Amino acid sequence: MSEILANLGAGFVHALQLMNFLMIVLGLAIGIVAGALPGITMLNAIVLVLPFTYLMGIVPALLLMIGVYCGGVFGGSITGILFNIPGDPMNVPTTWEGYRLNRKGQGRYALGLAIMSSAFGGLVSALFLAFFAPPFAKFALTFSTVEFFSVVVFGLASVSVLGHASLTGALISLFAGLFLGTIGTEAQYGVERFAFNVPFLKTGIDFVTVLIGLFAIGEVLDQIVAAGPAPAAEAAKTTAVPRLPLLDLWPLRWSLVRGTAVGIVVGGLAGAGATVSSFVSYGLEKQVSSQPELFGTGHAGGLVASESSVNGSTGGAMIHLLTLGIPGSAATAVMMGAFLIHGIQPGPLLFTKQAEEVYTIIAGMILANVIMIALGFLAALSFAMLMKVPAAILNTFIVVFCFVGAYALRNDMADVWLTMLFGVLGFVMRRYDLPIPPLIMGVILGPMAEQFFLTSMVANANDLSVFITRPISAVILMMSALMVLWPAFRAWRARRAPG
Amino acid sequence: MGPARRVAAPLAGVLLSLALLLSTRGLNQVVHGPQLGPGFWPRLVLIGLAAACLAKLVSVLRHDRGGRSREAPSGEARDGVAGISRAKLAAAIALIFLYVLVSESAGFALTTAGFIAAFMWLCGARSPLVIAANTLVGTVGLLYLFVKAVYLPLPKGDGPFEAVTLALYRLLHIF
Repeated sequence: MSEILANLGAGFVHALQLMNFLMIVLGLAIGIVAGALPGITMLNAIVLVLPFTYLMGIVPALLLMIGVYCGGVFGGSITGILFNIPGDPMNVPTTWEGYRLNRKGQGRYALGLAIMSSAFGGLVSALFLAFFAPPFAKFALTFSTVEFFSVVVFGLASVSVLGHASLTGALISLFAGLFLGTIGTEAQYGVERFAFNVPFLKTGIDFVTVLIGLFAIGEVLDQIVAAGPAPAAEAAKTTAVPRLPLLDLWPLRWSLVRGTAVGIVVGGLAGAGATVSSFVSYGLEKQVSSQPELFGTGHAGGLVASESSVNGSTGGAMIHLLTLGIPGSAATAVMMGAFLIHGIQPGPLLFTKQAEEVYTIIAGMILANVIMIALGFLAALSFAMLMKVPAAILNTFIVVFCFVGAYALRNDMADVWLTMLFGVLGFVMRRYDLPIPPLIMGVILGPMAEQFFLTSMVANANDLSVFITRPISAVILMMSALMVLWPAFRAWRARRAPG
Repeated sequence: MGPARRVAAPLAGVLLSLALLLSTRGLNQVVHGPQLGPGFWPRLVLIGLAAACLAKLVSVLRHDRGGRSREAPSGEARDGVAGISRAKLAAAIALIFLYVLVSESAGFALTTAGFIAAFMWLCGARSPLVIAANTLVGTVGLLYLFVKAVYLPLPKGDGPFEAVTLALYRLLHIF
């Protein structure tokens, strides 16, 4: 313990040197802005920054990338809360609750909660990385594709909490999303599925087109045709400056702790990452909440849980990367490349052979999450000013940004067409009360579920019992079953109650 | 919404799912031995989709017959497109699709300028000065951000439009 504290102290000394500190701030700023712009993801930002690090020393280069990473996972929440446009799929659950809070005139509160929850989640996960990395890495190695499949099922099971008006509506939406996720060339066998000889369908539907279309374009169309003033204009009267609700976080402390814990654990599993952790955390939060019926209407607990899990996953992902040398996501894969370029070899010996660099990275992560409170506040303030822009201007530029965001995915106009088509679908779904979140979940989690399921079957001779004979998988699947059955049981009990 | 239209949507969902299910027949031809193959997962999903649509259909029919179902069919909680300006909706959708359609041949810069002006007017902006300022500043700002800073090869258009776009880029020192 004393050795870790000494190493961490030395790490802080390095990270606080002016140049290194500035790199953290710059990285955070780039990450937050890139994360907030739809179509430009945190991954894009890390890739764009990578070449600039070649000329830097090891420490500033890595701190710059750490800053982009930490800021990027948070940035998408700002536009999600303010405009219903999540910058990244991982920010989707935050958007469900945050945007509703904004529509109720509580945008400042929602932004403040998001900033504080992100910083808390990221800070705790960085400390976890400092003190518990090696034993946690050993635990993470016990997960196979069987357990990963169960975790994804747990995320999908939370669909039972997402259909506010109709469970069948939520299921239709979920299965439609799962179906969209199967379109394109299948990864294991290379077989085209549902492409019908349409060239762009052969490469599949990028879930970002679905995300931008359903949320942003659908919302714009809904606002244009809605009678009365546009919600954005209404909200502008109350939404100006985000506030930091330090005291307001106390009643939400358990949501914060649960979200962070889920983020660290799920983020630490290679292949799962921030997106899965945010969905799992949100679903779990609804199950344990005393007011589950308020989820989807602007529930602070749901926002705090998902947001803290997103940044909580950063420490978990770094554990996997630093101790095992296995990147768990595309973002950490790029970061691993940067580590190798700068002479750092992630793996079991890293914490002893290159302790100075490792603990500087960890100190940088801790600092980044503290600085993020100030930078997140400034960024939220700047974006919140856009709420004062008249709806006519705002809606027009949202459509243009969606165009560019969709085109930027693959430099292909087909993605733009798809985005706009999904926009019309989003409008129709809003108008006919078909829940959008389950469809998004299906598109994002479906391909993961299929890959983990098929790989598990190949590895276990098509023996389905493997999902319940492996203890961790069995527990997760049991929790998933409870998640689906519990609301039905509660409704049944309410119906039987006298009066 | 009338009963026929309420039934039509879930019924179409069931039929579409079944049709897609039939189209998965050839997917497992590549599989040798006891493997689930690439057709397994889509079939599972489509069966689930068909079952969910069927459940919705039953729910709608039961509701129409006696209101015994506890679950309100979709479309009742919010009355679809009733009470909204259908002409405005159609114009907005048409304008968005026209924007995408034309931008490939006329280039992003010129089309975006036209789109910003037209869409702002559709959304209720009437001041020519505001529309012109947003069109000009917005288009130039977007070009600097995405073409100059992010190196995004946005569509330049074909023939004379490409020449105009390139001239604009040179004028703005983007190229």
